[in-house]
Amino acid sequence: MTTPRFAEIAAKVRAGERLSEDDGIALYLEPDLLAVGQLANEVRERLHGDRTYFNVNLRYEATNVCEASCRFCAFAKLEKGQPGAQTATHEAAWKELAEFPDERLSELHMVNGLDPNLAFEWYEELLRGWKKLRPSIHLKCFTAVEIHYFAQKFAMSHEQVLQRLMAAGLDTMPGGGAEIFHPEVRERISRDKADGDEYLAVHRAAHRLGMKTNCTMLYGHIETHAHRIDHLMRLRALQDETQGFQCFIPLAFHNMHNAMEQLPESTAVDDLRTISVSRLMLDNIPHVKAYWVSMTVETAQIGLRFGADDLDGTIVHETIYHSAGSTVPMGLTRHDLLRLIREAGRVPVERDSLYGVVEEYPRASAPEGSMKVKDRNAKKHLELAR
Amino acid sequence: MNADGHGGQGPGGKALGKLLTKNRYGAGPIDPNGKLRFAGVGYLNTQPILHGLLQGLGASRLLLELGRPSEVARRLFEDEADAALVPAAAIAMHGGLEIAPGIAVGARGPVRSVVLLSERPVEELDTLLLDSSSRTSVVLARLVAAHLRKGRALTVYSRTPAQILAETRGGTGAVLIGDDALAARGRFACELDLAEAWQAWTGLPFVFAVWGARRGVLDESVRALLSASLEAGLAARTEIGVSWAEAHGGLAAEHERYLRENLHYELDEAALAGLREFFARAAEAKLLPPCEVRLAGTDATTPAAGRHDSRGHDSRSLDALLDFAAEGGRLSFDEALRLAEDAPTLDLGLAADARRRALHPEGVVTYIVDRNVNYTNACTVACRFCAFYRPIGHGDVYVLSREELRAKIQEVVDAGGVQVLLQGGINPDLRLTWYEELFVWWKSEFPNVALHALSPEEIWGLARLETECGEPTTIDEVLRRLMAAGMDSLPGGGAEVLTDRVRRKIAKAKCTSAEWLECMRVAHRLGLHTTATMMYGTTDTAVDRLAHLFKVRDLQDETGGFTAFICWDYQHDQGVKQVAGDTGTVLYLRMQALARLVLDNVRNIQSSWVTQGPGVGQLALRYGANDLGSTMFEENVVSSAGTTFTMDAQQIERHARAAGFTVARRNMRYQWLTTPS
Ligand code: SF4
Ligand code: SF4
Repeated sequence: MTTPRFAEIAAKVRAGERLSEDDGIALYLEPDLLAVGQLANEVRERLHGDRTYFNVNLRYEATNVCEASCRFCAFAKLEKGQPGAQTATHEAAWKELAEFPDERLSELHMVNGLDPNLAFEWYEELLRGWKKLRPSIHLKCFTAVEIHYFAQKFAMSHEQVLQRLMAAGLDTMPGGGAEIFHPEVRERISRDKADGDEYLAVHRAAHRLGMKTNCTMLYGHIETHAHRIDHLMRLRALQDETQGFQCFIPLAFHNMHNAMEQLPESTAVDDLRTISVSRLMLDNIPHVKAYWVSMTVETAQIGLRFGADDLDGTIVHETIYHSAGSTVPMGLTRHDLLRLIREAGRVPVERDSLYGVVEEYPRASAPEGSMKVKDRNAKKHLELAR
Repeated sequence: MNADGHGGQGPGGKALGKLLTKNRYGAGPIDPNGKLRFAGVGYLNTQPILHGLLQGLGASRLLLELGRPSEVARRLFEDEADAALVPAAAIAMHGGLEIAPGIAVGARGPVRSVVLLSERPVEELDTLLLDSSSRTSVVLARLVAAHLRKGRALTVYSRTPAQILAETRGGTGAVLIGDDALAARGRFACELDLAEAWQAWTGLPFVFAVWGARRGVLDESVRALLSASLEAGLAARTEIGVSWAEAHGGLAAEHERYLRENLHYELDEAALAGLREFFARAAEAKLLPPCEVRLAGTDATTPAAGRHDSRGHDSRSLDALLDFAAEGGRLSFDEALRLAEDAPTLDLGLAADARRRALHPEGVVTYIVDRNVNYTNACTVACRFCAFYRPIGHGDVYVLSREELRAKIQEVVDAGGVQVLLQGGINPDLRLTWYEELFVWWKSEFPNVALHALSPEEIWGLARLETECGEPTTIDEVLRRLMAAGMDSLPGGGAEVLTDRVRRKIAKAKCTSAEWLECMRVAHRLGLHTTATMMYGTTDTAVDRLAHLFKVRDLQDETGGFTAFICWDYQHDQGVKQVAGDTGTVLYLRMQALARLVLDNVRNIQSSWVTQGPGVGQLALRYGANDLGSTMFEENVVSSAGTTFTMDAQQIERHARAAGFTVARRNMRYQWLTTPS
């Protein structure tokens, strides 16, 4: 039982027309959640059919020392030497990669605090060491916020920073640090780091240098639906210009151990709706990810029918969300991911960092959700930390 | 079965072998000797049809087992029989079956064994008591009564035959069947023979029972066998009368006359028209799911391209079926199975959401402030999946003292709670009087805290314990005494999956499916309200899970006593023997949506956020649920198994509102205690 407004929007989507800011807000207000999900699913299936991507990656944070003081951040520690402050040595960071158990590891994903104590060369050296250890490893490192910080601190342009890091081995950039672009929100939650325009400027520079990047949105705190749609519109505009974004990842706000503990967290219906609205609004970004660390494994799995086509990687060490109270397991194995994707009736595709196919797995022999006797043996019970 | 759609395999043993090893769902007992499993109702009126088979005809090809109508239908539903001589209503409830041509138990005129008895004409009655052991007769009675009363409503209750005879007087009429009907002849001023009334109304014969089977079972040779069996039976009606009288009493001549004069065994054009008419009228009155009559081996049922999908289901498109369900159509077993197997989860959710909206148009999600109290963990049942219980004599065994209970109940009162869900293990140290004294104490101390207490397992346990201790007690007596002591309602726990092949594997010592249901039937008849639950995800298959839903629906048709249905998947714990089977979020949402669609007569569906987590629990509100259960203080049985979700009232309300609903607190009867906001 959808509204007439929804019918209009659905007609536009089916005709391949672009949605307006107003349409985006209407999608947030539409009472029939499943209808919104189904529309997003249509677009998702038009783009990717049943294919659902994941990769095997290693998450790494070299330092949690940070000059900035984002109010939602439970990860950063202000100064070196503070309890919990940790900066890795090169040797420790390299060891992490050297000892990674999965042969098929394709990507190392690193984001850090804005650590005033580290020299630019320290980062270059870090990347070079990893590449030397495993030349095939794809380095997806540094958020736009870090790149912008380096540019200011070391008096370089965004291009110069990126070029030097690329020379040291950087392959792509993750999408973190976007938060909410709109100044009404950004000034209240993370005023002392790159603003929205600066974030976009870094990605623009990266795209011009031929680099692919991802983009994100941190939602579910003090922003309104209008702020979220504004955020998506800005991403869409840059993508029209550069075509450099591969994947959009909505990130749900978690409220433990940070300065916004009094705020309630988003709930599953909001997480799913945000996936759907993003899929529908971002008509020029190929992939939308259901990031299970942020929204729980269960909701992310359902998200595969609400517009998402990527379930992220097998993350072994994740500390950013876990610092803020995330209770999902610290890592999922390939086996877990395959099961989750198949159980949702999709076809698992293990990908590399540029969405090249590493392996396409057969779909489950049973239809969606109805695991049969013969599938049981292959099914390991997920020991979730819940 | 013939799942691939190439019919007409003829009588070869090879085709039969394939048929038998390819059981529909990879589950259910398959006869090891490769014989077809036949089941039949073993009443006098079916003897002519079964006669040849009982004399050994076809013994090399099939096994025949006899039972009561409900048991025979159960076998067919649960894949324990390949074909069955079943009441007509079972054909419609199952759906997707083929009928053996030419053979039926029917009547063209008075049948004598299905009658409506009363002191006044049916037009002047206000209440009807039914023996619900035969759904076909119940549906027939309700259709005929509605016709004769020109649609004027009649209150209908189901009762045992003994209760019926005791309570029928004045404006209350009774429907009796079989021997009870024959025995009651002449006792009431008005006797309406229902087959005769049907004939007078429609001009058509009435068909009581036919052979039904899944597609492909009734091939040419099997049909020939069944016809030969009937032919032999028709020729032997005199002998049948004699042997029936010897075994069951009564007069041989009377039996023979019944078989010759009242019953008609030919499923000819007129009888077929009568059967179709019965199905059409029952569907229109929403007493049975719509059902097409399909005869095995005729052109109309040859599995031509497009008519059946790969599993041999009906030709109706999946979309049409989803629309039918979303609009509140009554699903047959076969249709529900098809939805379970083939419908996309989102589509099931949309259909269930539409049903939820139709049943609860005000958009209110309810929850109750109560707590679980597990009064003892000593248990003799030792279910394979249970991490909660301790064997008798174990060092960790506890029984809560009055002081401990008082503290727990007081916490409920302090939190604004209205009820305690009181459950425990089957502890042989606790006699019925212990419970009676406890409940009386409880009600004197906490008159406003409702006692939602003791699942069927505990009720049966008490009846057994008292009987073993030399005081024979029925569950009816146990329930009456507990009600008198202060019990308010019964939780629907311990149902697990209500098919015995599952229960036997995971909970050998538990009461059977039929006993669980019987306890609920008795409780409902005593005026208690109960819930119904399902814990799936051990050894169950889709067939088991759906059989469970249909058993709940059938009993609810009879009693109307279930307030809500709740399902969840097995939460595996380390150290517990039972491994997990079909579980997971997607299946959970599908099961819950299916429950909303199948259980058209159960008003409320509770989301199990305690097991699924607050997120999925909230999503469940868009997949058919309209209730968020209760604020949990503790839930030992689930939390022993490692699931430790908690939400307080504020969080429950926030999740409901975020999903687009207003919220109200409720009691066990689902009456609102607060204004929705
Ligand atoms: S979000 Fe990033 S920039 Fe902000 S405080 Fe945390 S680590 Fe520093
Ligand atoms: S589930 Fe109930 S009946 Fe079974 S062992 Fe546990 S406490 Fe006893």
